[in-house]
Amino acid sequence: MSNSIENYLKTEKITKSFGKSVAVDEVSLGVQAGQVVSIIGPSGAGKSTFLRCLNLLETPTSGEISIGDFKISIGPGHKYPTAKELAVLRRNVGMVFQSFNLFPHLTVVENVALAQRRVLGRGKEEARDRALQLLDRVGLKSKSQEYPGRCSGGQQQRVAIARSLALDPKVMLFDEPTSALDPEVGAEILSVMRELADDGMTMMVVTHEMSFAKDVSDVVCVMVEGRIIESGDPQKIMSEPGHERTRKFLSAVLGR
Amino acid sequence: MFLTIAQGLGWTVAISVISFLIGSVLGVGIAFGRLSRRAYIRAVARTWIELIRSVPPLVWLFIVYFGLGELGPKLSPFHCAIATFSVITSVYLGEIFRGGYAALAGGQIEAAKSIGLGRGDIFFKIVFRQVFRTVSPSMVAYAISLMKDSALASTIGVVEMTFRANQVTQATGQGLTAYLIVGFIYLLISLPFGVWARHADQQAHKRYVVT
Repeated sequence: MSNSIENYLKTEKITKSFGKSVAVDEVSLGVQAGQVVSIIGPSGAGKSTFLRCLNLLETPTSGEISIGDFKISIGPGHKYPTAKELAVLRRNVGMVFQSFNLFPHLTVVENVALAQRRVLGRGKEEARDRALQLLDRVGLKSKSQEYPGRCSGGQQQRVAIARSLALDPKVMLFDEPTSALDPEVGAEILSVMRELADDGMTMMVVTHEMSFAKDVSDVVCVMVEGRIIESGDPQKIMSEPGHERTRKFLSAVLGR
Repeated sequence: MFLTIAQGLGWTVAISVISFLIGSVLGVGIAFGRLSRRAYIRAVARTWIELIRSVPPLVWLFIVYFGLGELGPKLSPFHCAIATFSVITSVYLGEIFRGGYAALAGGQIEAAKSIGLGRGDIFFKIVFRQVFRTVSPSMVAYAISLMKDSALASTIGVVEMTFRANQVTQATGQGLTAYLIVGFIYLLISLPFGVWARHADQQAHKRYVVT
């Protein structure tokens, strides 16, 4: 993929090694504003690690991340980003996890309002109104006063999406958001994601849902052993993969 | 007789409450030490905890009062009791806090980071509040046992309830009555806390434990 100037989210040679093993190997890619990029590939390929490098939940060993005009370089010769830089990055990059990770001691609406108040400095009323609006958008306004423990997995994941959206992020990262859910419930989440994509959200999605990757994303990247071995038009990659390893992977997942 | 003994209640409460408060603060430090990313800090914390717990509180009290008193300016029995019980409390509470932290549902801290919360907010809004709720019943249970242990301070001359019961016994010879009165007062204090702790525990479960 070219790193043209219009790329909104861009990574330059992101590498993450754990001791001697290299999980992510010099991955450079660009995502244009409003694009949906899916990352597919076998387990252990470093997809999630790469995604987690993008908001620095995982500190890359080296590389560069830029979001709009904001750029962070990491590696030898660079200081670790300051708390302020981290805050800017994370405010602009939302993330949804496989295991939802809601705060169990807060109600659903409080889960969505917390960061708005603490990070964006919104007032109590404003944060609450915005939270309810987002909960409505994911179809859970009626659950706003419940604790997460009383919500189903699918509902929790929708709350997690709302919690992330509450900061008005420029980019949303999804780390296998449906893997912990029944297929039917997973479909609910995928439809929420589809709506987000239709609304023009820039998204990067690590997924095993091939139909989502094919139908919703603008670009599919295939990651194997820490590298992106091919990327491009989803239809094309799915129907005529250019790489032998991609073919093998696709026949394994689609053949089931 | 009751009044004479009950006059010691102030010291009993003072030793318990002050040691508990200081011990709670130090205990947070102990828990941080046990959970540190650095192995040597964990090792130091662990050794310290074992050291404190392996010696009876009474012996620590004597070491601090008679032992340290030999080395430097002698502290009052009350201060020695506070110092000793604070340190002992801190290691027990530290372990309780650590357990509470371990029970936090995973991934929350990452999620909190991902929505831009800073370290202070993560600690106070996410970790502390949940850990506090999880451990408060154990903390209350410990507070009760600390209050009972504070009777040991009578041995170094703090004029708390047990000390007074001793005096009354020596003066009147009515040991049974004197000590039953002390026991009854301890019971009066302990019981409500125990009931409250059980109640609080049930409430916490009802509220947000997945059923």
